[in-house]
Amino acid sequence: MNDESRKIEVPEELGDEIGGNGRVYFENVVIDNMLDALLELSATVWTHHDRVIVLEKILASKGIDVSEEIEAHLPDEEEVAARAAERDAFVERVFGAFLRRPTHDLTEKADI
Amino acid sequence: MDRGHIGVLPRPTRLADESYLEFVTSFRKFAIQKGFPVMAANGEAALGKAIEKGEVSAPEEGDELELDEIKKVFAKVPFTPTWQRFVRSQQEMMWRGTRKSFLRNADKIMADMDAAEKSHPDNIHYDPAFEPPKYTRCEIHCQPGGYTDDPLGGAVFHYGTKIFYEGFNDQDELHIELAEKATKPADGSVNRILDLGCSIGQSTTVLKDLYPDAEVWGLDVGLPLIRYAHMRAVQREKDVHFKQALAEDSGYPDAHFDMVHAYILFHEVPVKKMKEILAEVFRVLRPGGVFSIFEFPNNDKGQVPPGYRFMIDNDSRDNCEPYSPAFVASDFKGILKTTGFAVQQGPAVSNEFLQSLVATKPA
Repeated sequence: MNDESRKIEVPEELGDEIGGNGRVYFENVVIDNMLDALLELSATVWTHHDRVIVLEKILASKGIDVSEEIEAHLPDEEEVAARAAERDAFVERVFGAFLRRPTHDLTEKADI
Repeated sequence: MDRGHIGVLPRPTRLADESYLEFVTSFRKFAIQKGFPVMAANGEAALGKAIEKGEVSAPEEGDELELDEIKKVFAKVPFTPTWQRFVRSQQEMMWRGTRKSFLRNADKIMADMDAAEKSHPDNIHYDPAFEPPKYTRCEIHCQPGGYTDDPLGGAVFHYGTKIFYEGFNDQDELHIELAEKATKPADGSVNRILDLGCSIGQSTTVLKDLYPDAEVWGLDVGLPLIRYAHMRAVQREKDVHFKQALAEDSGYPDAHFDMVHAYILFHEVPVKKMKEILAEVFRVLRPGGVFSIFEFPNNDKGQVPPGYRFMIDNDSRDNCEPYSPAFVASDFKGILKTTGFAVQQGPAVSNEFLQSLVATKPA
């Protein structure tokens, strides 16, 4: 037993391998970036599709048809801001690869 | 948020994380099960043509092609870098998504591990002053913080490797199979068992189920893994011991164990350390004791085809497996024999990539 264990701090960010510039496999780094983007995009499409499946199952089990209400829904300011933040994060996740590896020789990557 | 478990597996903390990680699992299955054979077959076909044209010299009888020649030819096939990109990106998404999800539940996971230590202090053994040596602190398989440096490493390893196993080890199926296939000493006497490099104790607890009267120990260098293993064992009411120590310096008395079990340990250590670990296992096994080994294959007799050699080399460089090529190239069976073991082929296992060996300390 180690009473010190409660003092262990869990770092938020960790990992040299999953961080940093990553690897380049193609002569044209844009291909690497497009494939990364394609993967993140596919993961996001699936994640949303999966959520819709679950949502529809739950609503159907309660006898609720929401399709018309969805079309008529008008968000308030707070919801608009929250959805914008989520959308921005989505764009960054899908297209972040292009910023991570802007050039083929990453030793010459501009320090911004 | 804690969304509970699926059997023995903790759920990611949000449905969105689970869906994302399930996508990664499906993609990994696609890249490994369907993509790898295509990459290997096309690379090997290109290699055959390059030999025919005299661009690459055919190896002499009993020799094998240089790895550099294989890499050069494979690199010219367009699907090769695509496959490398797919595998690397999937691995990064797997760890990034897993850690991000379980980080949300960090306070509870840490508290659960602390509670297990408090309720069962005699089943976990470590020295808080122990510093893992540098060679153990790589980010093996790209896991952030590796096995030693992320306090949440056990939880992250558990769900991350669920994805790695492409869905066929969600309920520890492979670890159960390997524990069941661990070989007993010929005289049938089993009082103590050691699971060497036990990580989160997925085989350790099964060994206890199989040998309820034996004292069962899991040993690993990673404290985050040991703490998580201990928590899992306590929650599942398994009376096993976990110890943080180096496999080459275990601290057990001579002739202490009847059985030692190791699954994919040796390709994660330098060959020099592999030899030291084998000497240590020989020391802690009693005469007639048996060491069951399930491990990467060796290529010391040129028995691994070019596609697999390319994959193992790629895995070494791009999946942070710094020690595996030297292990694969080593005469592992010969080293086991030199250490003093009698070596036999072990039982066949469902994962055909693995070699299965049984090393017995002569009685």
